[in-house]
Amino acid sequence: MPQPDRNTARNDRVQRMHGGLTELDRWLDDRIRTGLADPSLARYATWDDLAARLVDAQAGSLANRIRRLAGLVGASPGWHDDVLAELGLLHLLSQAGRHLGSLPGPLADAVATAVGWQVKQADVLAGVPDTDHWVVAGRSDVREDRIEVRRHWLRGTSSGQWALCLSFAAYQQSLDTSLRVGTSLHADLHRYPGPALRSLVGARYALPVDPVTPPSQTIAEGCNEVGSMLVAEPWLDRLPVTIRARLARSGEVWALADATGSLPVLNAGTRQFDAGLAMLLAVSEGREVDLTVEWTPHGVVPLSIHLPDRTIDVGPRANTSFVSAA
Amino acid sequence: MKSVDEHWQALVTTALLGTDRREPPEAPQLIADLVADTARTTASERMLAQVAATTAVRRAGVIPGPPLDELAMPDGDDRQPCVPAAVDRWHHITASWPVLEDEWILTLVTAGWRIAPELLPAMLMRHRSDPVRRTRVMVGAGSTGRWLVGHVPDLAARHPNATVTPEALAELPELPIAPELAQLVNRPGAESGGVLAQSLEDGTLGHPHRAMLINLVARVRADALLDIADILGAVDSISPGYGLATVLGDLATTRHRMLDELST
Repeated sequence: MPQPDRNTARNDRVQRMHGGLTELDRWLDDRIRTGLADPSLARYATWDDLAARLVDAQAGSLANRIRRLAGLVGASPGWHDDVLAELGLLHLLSQAGRHLGSLPGPLADAVATAVGWQVKQADVLAGVPDTDHWVVAGRSDVREDRIEVRRHWLRGTSSGQWALCLSFAAYQQSLDTSLRVGTSLHADLHRYPGPALRSLVGARYALPVDPVTPPSQTIAEGCNEVGSMLVAEPWLDRLPVTIRARLARSGEVWALADATGSLPVLNAGTRQFDAGLAMLLAVSEGREVDLTVEWTPHGVVPLSIHLPDRTIDVGPRANTSFVSAA
Repeated sequence: MKSVDEHWQALVTTALLGTDRREPPEAPQLIADLVADTARTTASERMLAQVAATTAVRRAGVIPGPPLDELAMPDGDDRQPCVPAAVDRWHHITASWPVLEDEWILTLVTAGWRIAPELLPAMLMRHRSDPVRRTRVMVGAGSTGRWLVGHVPDLAARHPNATVTPEALAELPELPIAPELAQLVNRPGAESGGVLAQSLEDGTLGHPHRAMLINLVARVRADALLDIADILGAVDSISPGYGLATVLGDLATTRHRMLDELST
């Protein structure tokens, strides 16, 4: 968590961030006053100017959220719902970010991270590690602006806790290939400040072992697990969960289903081709299988299929013409 | 009493018009308790607070949708799926040695395997246009392949009515090999490997012959491959043919392993 009194540079940084958050809230207020039907929402400058100012204010994570939000406008019939929800979360973060001093320590750290407060990797690695046998349960690659982001979701065999290892690659750079889905890694994980999922891998005590399946649960139980994580940090927009489910059709979209209910698959119209989904369909043949998925507010993304003898990585994969080692 | 979802719809309606034109809706008790304070004086501030709280409550209360009908499953297939090593090999050869792909699928079918299901989407997508290869894939895929295409129309063949003869289906395509090299196809590995190594070292064969040499190694008898790989691996590293010998040795090794993985 930022400690504003530590030195002048940090004070300046906190002040800039505070100013950026104040401006963000003013901008949010304008959107709510003029309404989502306001034609200015369709203009790139409406979003990009704000994002640039948030970058200047050291609130890079919020700037990324603003850019992603711009992409939601007009993107689906229900875009008003999606945009309004995101405006609400931005308001929550801007309010919390301006009152960090009055929040409990871990929550303040989580808010600071969500706003974009930078923490040096060396500081993270200097923290107390979580040592466990970490199952690499799933992987997803997502292009964010001009950067490819790779998420590896790890689950502690003893603790049952989730962790997230990120890697980034610009054009023609390489993503991390050291974590292989379906293997278990005996290693130290160092978490970012707060109750953070985001972690760095520290010391590794053995070569990865495979195959390993994380424990699965019903869809209803999986929703409870996701809900518990969202109670702590409602602004999280990607969370991992391992469930036992089968593919099913819900009208014109694919969904995961079991006896307890269903979850829509993100961007998965039954008439569109999705390589990961087709692989899931082929491997499962419509039967229930153990799956690690990434929950998002708009649907789940299947990441891996855990079979008794192997794990199949079906997560979205970066385009190899953009980044190497994908 | 208004539910959280009903309240959310009221918030969306207000947000569309904007609070300059419409007052925020009255919040249900659950939300009102969360945003109750006296600091928010304007309609837009009260609205934003309600939107934030309602979004947080709805997200944390994520619940499944209704159960859905099961998909009809494909008919059974008695054949075992090919082993994971063969799956990895297919990815490797399509990336590095596509000349081996026809032999991969023909060997798989002949040996009585079926294509591992995780490979099916990539193989069906790759061979939508070529009727012969497409038919081979469908034979290797069995009922799961037909079932999958039924669910994923993008995987369907581009020319579904094309006619394929049984001969075309069962034979490897002929690859162009110069006559002086073609005679090595059926020779024992020690002999063909020796000729290749010698010719590469003395420069008789070189990069201009690369394509023909690749075709040759892709068609030499299977029991010659290990010897060829060994002999090419021993080519003098300072000779001009060293690089090409390494490449051909890798092809021989890859093909040997491929056939080994697909043996019954």
